[in-house]
Amino acid sequence: MAAASVAERIGGPGAGIGFGLGLRNCHFDHILAKWPAVDWFEAISENFMDSGGRPRAVIRRIAEHYPLVLHGVSLSIGSTDPLNYAYLGRLKQLAAELQPRWISDHLCWTGVQGLNSHDLLPMPLTEKTLVHVADRVRRVQDYLERPLILENPSTYARFRQSTLDEPTFLRELTEATGCGLLLDVNNVYVSCFNAATDPVAYLDAFPCERVVQIHLAGHQHCGTHIIDTHDRPVRPEVWELYRLAWARSGGAATLLEWDGNIPSFAECHAELLKATRYSSSRFEAAHVAPDEAATVAISNPVDFLVPNVMASTVLERA
Amino acid sequence: MSGTPPDLPTLQQWMQQALRFPRAVARDEADQVLAASSQLSGVEGLAIYQRSYFLRIASCMREQFPALCHTLGAVLFDDFTADYIRARPPASHTLYDLGRRFPDYLEETRPDRDAAPTARETWVDFMVDLARFERQLFALFDAPGHEGRPFADPATPDGSLRLQPCFALGAYRFAVPLYYHDVRLGRAPALPPREDSFVALVRADYVTHTMPLIAPHHQFLAAMAAGGTVEDGIAAMALQSGRPPEDVRQAWQAPMSMRRRWIETGFFVAA
Repeated sequence: MAAASVAERIGGPGAGIGFGLGLRNCHFDHILAKWPAVDWFEAISENFMDSGGRPRAVIRRIAEHYPLVLHGVSLSIGSTDPLNYAYLGRLKQLAAELQPRWISDHLCWTGVQGLNSHDLLPMPLTEKTLVHVADRVRRVQDYLERPLILENPSTYARFRQSTLDEPTFLRELTEATGCGLLLDVNNVYVSCFNAATDPVAYLDAFPCERVVQIHLAGHQHCGTHIIDTHDRPVRPEVWELYRLAWARSGGAATLLEWDGNIPSFAECHAELLKATRYSSSRFEAAHVAPDEAATVAISNPVDFLVPNVMASTVLERA
Repeated sequence: MSGTPPDLPTLQQWMQQALRFPRAVARDEADQVLAASSQLSGVEGLAIYQRSYFLRIASCMREQFPALCHTLGAVLFDDFTADYIRARPPASHTLYDLGRRFPDYLEETRPDRDAAPTARETWVDFMVDLARFERQLFALFDAPGHEGRPFADPATPDGSLRLQPCFALGAYRFAVPLYYHDVRLGRAPALPPREDSFVALVRADYVTHTMPLIAPHHQFLAAMAAGGTVEDGIAAMALQSGRPPEDVRQAWQAPMSMRRRWIETGFFVAA
């Protein structure tokens, strides 16, 4: 697959779809009642691919009204387990039904030996693992008959045997496979802080011309390290990175993820719309201050994916 | 992990084991595999993954078993969850599968499992039954259903009535469904006494209805759930209750009968 084909097949960087929100179960009723003026939605693939209930019915309706992107968390592209074609089959079926603009997942592995940690685990970044991941990306793209978009994950550990930095790994991966990239600027900030590296240097090295989409999210600063919690507003220093990333990617589609302590739809939307200010002004260095956090932070929270079944249940009289 | 650099399968198996069994990883071992930064040592970075692995799944399990979590308290519930995922680690791409094996796990690992059934702890039986009920409700939430298509109505002939696809029957040793709904309403119910309890669960318009049943009605619906017709249900109920089939048929067809209620609640489609 030629490098240019990513842009051709998905309509160019960002495909001009603007500013979107992560689709969350707790916002279903609001969206269906108000049809808010959001440019597009990103849905977690695994939340819908097996659904025979309300989530599937809701996303069908949403796909009729808004551009949609499918974002996965269980592809496990870096795993040494065989590719899960049953999973890919369900993903392909969902994509055929919803016609998403693109399908994305993460540069990570989620488990081996048939298990799934439900975490986005880091890869050792070497020439050898690059060959491994590139081979799997090609096979996934051939199966799905569309380019795959891969996201840089947030990381808390790096393997000693890594010989490539993440931007270089992703650049070589995209050149080898024609895949596109989802640049999560919050993950850049989190990973670089934890690795004590420079996030601006990361962006300088990143193949921004291959970025189709940008992610924004909040994180919890724990003083010595940062946890990618997606449970609060975007931090000022991440907005500054976003400003750079948006300009360098040629205005890639932008999406806000909010997965813990999810506020009202209006509040999420207001946070997203801050991106329009940062996408048209100059970069400014920002200071970092620890949050006043009282709770234990969980990286990559996923409990927002579990529906509140109790709220959809009634007792009939005997 | 010493000597030549480990290959990718070895590294991934090592890290996965480290997540599942954090205490089995020596500090030196983690620092040999993972690089330190001025912010985090290798072992500290690994600890973030280890902690998050458990907390993430425990959080999802609490969402899937809210009444059981309420009953046990979050600390004890999390302890059960930790043991469960060590013994039955997640294997599916979907989080919805996390709790599938939990009720059986609770039954298989109960501390009094070797005792005679009559000598077993009542509260353990209750917890297992509550877990089964919650799992069934959770599964029905997103199971294939009949929404968007017509359901049976009172004019549908008996010979055409079939149970709709998003339907389940439950039989418990306690009034688990009533207990669950008390918790749902924010009450603090006491553990109910041992008492056979039957229930039908059915989803219509994406709302799952819990309908307590008497034993003969449970038999009726069990016959239909096995693929039978209304006549099969009537025969099963007659057998269970010791009443003549004609009496059961009359009760079924009476104006305020279970027929009407079950149709109104969305039990049936027309074959």
